[in-house]
Amino acid sequence: MHEKKASIALENLRICHNCDLAQSIPTLAGRVVVRCRRCHSVIEKHQDNALERSFILAVTGLIFFIISNLYPLISIKKAGLTVDATLLSSSIELYRIDRPLLALLVLLTTIIVPLFSLMGIIYIFVIIKLKHYSNFTAPFFRFLRRNEIWGMLEVFLLALFVAGVKLADSADVILGISLYSFLALVLVLAWLSATIEPNKIWEATHPVKAEN
Amino acid sequence: MKQNITGKSLGLVSCLHCEQISQLPNDYHGEKVCCPRCQARLHSRIPNSLDKTTAFILTAALMYVPANIFPIMNIVYLGEAKSDTIIGGVLHLLEGGMWPMALIVFVASILVPVLKLIVMSILIISVHLKAHWRPAGRTHLFLITEFMGRWSMVDIFVLAILIALVQFGNLASVDAGLGAFSYAVVVIFTILAARSFDPRLIWDVIEEPQVGDHD
Ligand SMILES: [Zn+2]
Ligand SMILES: [Zn+2]
Repeated sequence: MHEKKASIALENLRICHNCDLAQSIPTLAGRVVVRCRRCHSVIEKHQDNALERSFILAVTGLIFFIISNLYPLISIKKAGLTVDATLLSSSIELYRIDRPLLALLVLLTTIIVPLFSLMGIIYIFVIIKLKHYSNFTAPFFRFLRRNEIWGMLEVFLLALFVAGVKLADSADVILGISLYSFLALVLVLAWLSATIEPNKIWEATHPVKAEN
Repeated sequence: MKQNITGKSLGLVSCLHCEQISQLPNDYHGEKVCCPRCQARLHSRIPNSLDKTTAFILTAALMYVPANIFPIMNIVYLGEAKSDTIIGGVLHLLEGGMWPMALIVFVASILVPVLKLIVMSILIISVHLKAHWRPAGRTHLFLITEFMGRWSMVDIFVLAILIALVQFGNLASVDAGLGAFSYAVVVIFTILAARSFDPRLIWDVIEEPQVGDHD
């Protein structure tokens, strides 16, 4: 009797990651954000069809990512010469002038991690829809969530503007076509991170079981 | 009695990765317990959180000096070699009348790293001193610091973009300076410091007098 009560409570129980307060949350519907009673940090968010929305945003993001890599983001013209910068070219040039660590850092933060995150979310969605779970699914998603912070495309976008301004008085700066798709990509990624509800994915890949 | 029931007092731990709530064994003494859902190691608190955070912050603070003394980039323009430190970059933007851009770069590349070092030090010290001072405020300070840290990477990216763009042989070229590496270490280590800090430590001391001994 007592044990059954405890297992029911567990489903709505949340323990705040920032202050460790145990609290129960109501069953959520619509679009809500639940904050911790004590430290006011976000402990749960809910949106209907969050999984499908996240999937669509990830696919959109991937398309923008590909377009952003096809054309130059920014170009400069000087003494009859034009030089283009793409997302990848900064890493390549850093490597070419023998700065391999910085090249790797830029490559990781602007190409590898964002691409891995987008493809990972798409992969997880497909796995969930096909109910094709393996022991690898949950650790994979954990790895993805843990390393997402190293994707820094929005910071790179700011850097593009700063670099453009810095060069503007000594050369002609031409904004590339890709810049627009890159801007869209950054917006989609921000939207995605606001939409994704890891909890939904965790529940789908591995339903909550009452302990004991 | 106040009804502040913590996960720790219940012997429960919420997985930091997947939020699955698990029961820690009664005789738990730091042995290996894994999350049933995502297989991450479970800990009531991040192990050695304060030591790790302190180590990262000290390294970042040490590297902060060369990061600001040495030039972040070396520029060759019309056969003339120049170099730019981080502060120099902001000043050049200001001289060019680009004050909104100068302000953004100043905040991201100078203010944020300094504030991050200061805030993390204050948090570490306040936990060591078992301070009861505004726990919710300190938790928020931590969350904001954690969020802002990434923007300091902007200088490294500006450098990378300039290197990729400015390739006109002897006419103009840009190379990474000595300070660039140190600066990147500062940014990465302050991010790692925020990641190893466990904000629940701020709250643990507030629980202590009420909890007393538990069997
Ligand atoms: Zn809380
Ligand atoms: Zn877990």
